[in-house]
Amino acid sequence: MIQLLQVPIIRREEPAPGHAELWVQSEELAEAKPGQFADVVTQGMLRRPISFSRIDRSNHQVALLLQVVGEGTRWLAAQRPGTTLDVMGPLGKGFSAPDPHRAWCVVGGGVGIPPLLAAVEAWGSQLSSPPTAILGARDQSLILLAEEFSASGCVVAVATDNGTRGHRGTIEEPLREWLGLHPEGQVYACGPTPMLKTVARLTNGRQGVSLALEQRMGCGIGACLACVIPGYVDGAAGYLRVCTDGPVFRAEELIFE
Amino acid sequence: MNLAVKLPRGLVLKNPVVAASGTFGFGPEYRDLVNIGRLGGVSVKGVSPDPWPGNPPPRVWETPGGLLNSIGLQNHGVEAFCTHDLPYLRETGTAVIVNIIGHTVDEYRRVAERISEEPGVSALEVNISCPNIKHGGISFGHDPDQAYLVTEAVRNATDLPVMVKLSPNVPNPGMIAQAVEGAGADMISAINTLVGLAVDKHRRRPALGGITGGLSGPAVKPVALRVVYEVAQQVKIPIIGMGGITTASDVVEFLMVGAQAVMVGTVTFQYPQRMEEIIEALPDELLSWGFATLDEAVGSALPHKKEGLPHESP
Repeated sequence: MIQLLQVPIIRREEPAPGHAELWVQSEELAEAKPGQFADVVTQGMLRRPISFSRIDRSNHQVALLLQVVGEGTRWLAAQRPGTTLDVMGPLGKGFSAPDPHRAWCVVGGGVGIPPLLAAVEAWGSQLSSPPTAILGARDQSLILLAEEFSASGCVVAVATDNGTRGHRGTIEEPLREWLGLHPEGQVYACGPTPMLKTVARLTNGRQGVSLALEQRMGCGIGACLACVIPGYVDGAAGYLRVCTDGPVFRAEELIFE
Repeated sequence: MNLAVKLPRGLVLKNPVVAASGTFGFGPEYRDLVNIGRLGGVSVKGVSPDPWPGNPPPRVWETPGGLLNSIGLQNHGVEAFCTHDLPYLRETGTAVIVNIIGHTVDEYRRVAERISEEPGVSALEVNISCPNIKHGGISFGHDPDQAYLVTEAVRNATDLPVMVKLSPNVPNPGMIAQAVEGAGADMISAINTLVGLAVDKHRRRPALGGITGGLSGPAVKPVALRVVYEVAQQVKIPIIGMGGITTASDVVEFLMVGAQAVMVGTVTFQYPQRMEEIIEALPDELLSWGFATLDEAVGSALPHKKEGLPHESP
């Protein structure tokens, strides 16, 4: 259930330049599903939607990993333990649990990586074979949480645009290779729209492809119709709300231009 | 303090704080977060006779003290509204105000007629002022003759109280207000958003998918107060004021320049419970400025009301 919460920051880390991971104490947020998000008050007119990088249900803690992209996120990233955040959540539809009998690959780009860690931490150990994590970014310094994916039992493949770590280029080649080896495999992806478009193209019609999207958001609860993306509504082309119809969609629900 | 507001055609708001159209969905969306029955009313998002797709994203952009939007009046049409949303809203105990939109005079008439068949609707708000819909470059709210025709068509199609929402994007909002008053409008609501533009420097293009958008939030409050102040002196029908209200103190300002009630919108996105907080705070806020009743505050800053004010200097 969506709630308005005052949650204390208990830990702050900087997993990469221009990023912050804020751990907060909240029994309510710790009920979230991987892929859901929290909407956080900053100094601006709108809350900032931030996904959960970790969901620790037993200790009633979650982590919010964000990238500084403007004034609101700059303010938020600067907050320290002891500060209380005004948070609405958990919001949106998260990922469904993967089919434990099929191979599973998570594909994350940049600040799209964090919710996939929450997903592999929740479900990775339930699969008959270890999941694969393909993580992409512009530079090696922006590959978030790679060690945590390894620690969760993932086979990790890295792609950087500048070749400073792993494959030089985008996630396209590593994903194409994985899909070739796992014709029945399921893919969960989160990252910039061009990356998701690539994932949708490579997985072309395959079942079990879930994409988590980002969009500039207003209310966060489905009322203002700001955060829409093109998709199929009752079978016809229209707009879907990232905040409540998503942010996780089945690939076949979306229309990439 | 009794906060009830009596308006034309028997419309009574239990208090003067109404959720502004566009910011409160079609009714049920905020049910987990807001005690909707506590509100003076809810004006739903614009409803058209047939579904409208809305504008391409991005649809919102934050600006200093404000919010620029180009939603483009996406809605699933009057039938879906009556089936899916209205049954919930009419049970909440708040005044249900249906904001209606159309591309033509006849479309406004059609949606007004259809809504009038439904029980549990308190009033219609005729939106002739959304800046995000380009209709041959003319929006009905920018031309007194067009505004008259739309209002007259709606007036003839319904017995519900009719309010007409004014645009601030015209040289003389009072002229439009007088036109719709002459056409039989029961009330005015003002203001709609101001046309603006934001730039996305990364992508080197206007930030919004709709290119221009409508500005709301505290940044527009002085414009809104000015329009209400002017219009209040040019028409006799009641005014519902809005634009950048975030506190009970803001509400008192709108009452003082002639509004009988207000709408609150943009702040709800950040603080969904702010409207209830404003309602709670309003009696003390009024008393603190020397008003024993809501009515005493209404129009108290208008020129003709100033005579006889006890503490005014000679």
